[in-house]
Amino acid sequence: MAELLRAENLSVGYGKTPVLKGVSFEVHPGEIVTLIGSNGSGKSTLLKTAAGLLKPLGGEIFLDGRKLGDIGEAELSRHVSILLTGQFRTEYMTGKEAVSLGRYPYTGRFGILSGEDREKVKSAMELVKVGELENRYLQHLSDGQRQRVMLARAICQESALMILDEPATYLDIRYELELLEILKTLAKERGTAVFMSMHELHLAGAVSDRLLAIKNGGIFREGTPEEILTGECIAELYDIDKSSFFKSFGEYPQKSR
Amino acid sequence: MKETGEIKNEKFRIIAGFLLLIILVAFFFVLGLVSGSVAIAPGQILKILFGTESEEVARTILLTIRLPRVIAALVLGGALAVSGFLLQTFFSNPIAGPFVLGISSGAKLTVALAMIFFLQRGVMLGSWAMALTAFIGSMLSMGFVLLIAGKVKSMSFLVVCGVMTGYLCSAVTDFIVTFAEDSDIVNLHGWSLGSFSGISRGNVHVICIIVSVCLLTSFMLSKPMDAWRLGEDYAKNLGVGIPLFRAALIILSSLLSAVVTAFAGPVSFVGIAVPHLMRSLLKTAKPILMLPASFLGGAAFCLFSDLIARKLFAPAEISISSVTSLIGAPIVIYLMVSRGRTKGAENG
Repeated sequence: MAELLRAENLSVGYGKTPVLKGVSFEVHPGEIVTLIGSNGSGKSTLLKTAAGLLKPLGGEIFLDGRKLGDIGEAELSRHVSILLTGQFRTEYMTGKEAVSLGRYPYTGRFGILSGEDREKVKSAMELVKVGELENRYLQHLSDGQRQRVMLARAICQESALMILDEPATYLDIRYELELLEILKTLAKERGTAVFMSMHELHLAGAVSDRLLAIKNGGIFREGTPEEILTGECIAELYDIDKSSFFKSFGEYPQKSR
Repeated sequence: MKETGEIKNEKFRIIAGFLLLIILVAFFFVLGLVSGSVAIAPGQILKILFGTESEEVARTILLTIRLPRVIAALVLGGALAVSGFLLQTFFSNPIAGPFVLGISSGAKLTVALAMIFFLQRGVMLGSWAMALTAFIGSMLSMGFVLLIAGKVKSMSFLVVCGVMTGYLCSAVTDFIVTFAEDSDIVNLHGWSLGSFSGISRGNVHVICIIVSVCLLTSFMLSKPMDAWRLGEDYAKNLGVGIPLFRAALIILSSLLSAVVTAFAGPVSFVGIAVPHLMRSLLKTAKPILMLPASFLGGAAFCLFSDLIARKLFAPAEISISSVTSLIGAPIVIYLMVSRGRTKGAENG
């Protein structure tokens, strides 16, 4: 299948100084591609650029063969959904209201939900298991609960491409595993392309088709989890002293053995 | 069962809340018409409005003094609260408002300048010219506030800068008023303290036209405003055209507070306090509900405050701002303290 997202010699960053330079990659429909790399390596910046929230500083990025910059906001909103890190100061917004905003690209002038929209909101909330949070205010939820509500919001936007910045943050182990199942379901059953970042290497390895390791302002390694998640590669990626890495984790991750 | 109960509750709360607001507005509106140094009974009011009243004095008092004043308090009060709501939306900050950000004071300064300049040349400014002058002033202050907002991200610092801008503009206005000629001062003094008195029927027409256009436009923006609550990135991802949307919020909020300042002078705290009260009353912050609720709430608040201003030390009048500050400032202090507390709890 043709690629959904393609970056060519892309430079990204805030202001004028690029954080990443000369980045090229592709994401296909139904594929899960995960960025790994240390804090501040430019993962979020790359994700925001891929979502059209930041303008590329150089190179090109294409969605379905069209330049991202040429697609208007309204149209883009039906193709790309996002989940970002960071807090927002939203008051008196219930879980259900937040998820309903995912239907924004499909509702009319005043954003009134149709019966079909309400069904989709409900099923997205059930998928992520946040049904019981529908009447709770976001400001009263725990970080993990809020994260899941925002994931449900992204899902009911029904986009071909989902861009998720550290979706596993704040989640306990049960929800981490559920997140993986949800992402797999979306990719395999709906053919959604998932482009995300993750710090939890074991999760990234378990769910991703390909990993992009980011270091020193560019793509350091690219490949399947088996190829990337070797003790040596990870130690080098995160600048960890090899002996201390093996002392703490043994031969983890196991696939390197 | 529990779920449907909660949804019913929510709907009930919203319907009851709106009913309460409408009753309050109607009650204070009628009370404003009947009370004054010359008593006019409610029945007499109906007769005058339908043109069957023969007594000329009551007719003149009602149609040229009380009716314009009460309509102005209603419409301008609502406008002020909506302006505050738009600013709070724009800055994602519940303590933003046209008065604390210095926008009202900017309008006050340019109107004072224009009034004196033209009065000395024997020209009276028309309603449209007044509104335009105030709009220029509010946009200038707004530009300054935006300049600061672009440089610093701290919301409290933004409010401090707004308050300082307000003082600066007020001080300059005071200088101008002091050096103006006697005849001008009479005109300027009452206005620069804030009052709904002295609003003519011509003023009321202009007020109603500008405010209703702004309200309709704001209402059309309630959907993007809803998405904007999640922050700029999410709003953009959902398809909101950010530059146009931001510009619209700025222009609408400045225009609304400019109209208020042009005709009633600066009226403090309505813009901050009313949207907050409405959020607490309706337990929601959906723009599509908050816009009409803020308008009604602001209208009721200002009609009530105007009554107090007229009646408390009658026949002497106190400025409308004194009354709104007396009620509004404690609400704002409470708001800041309670927010500070929840923030502390979150961190700890």
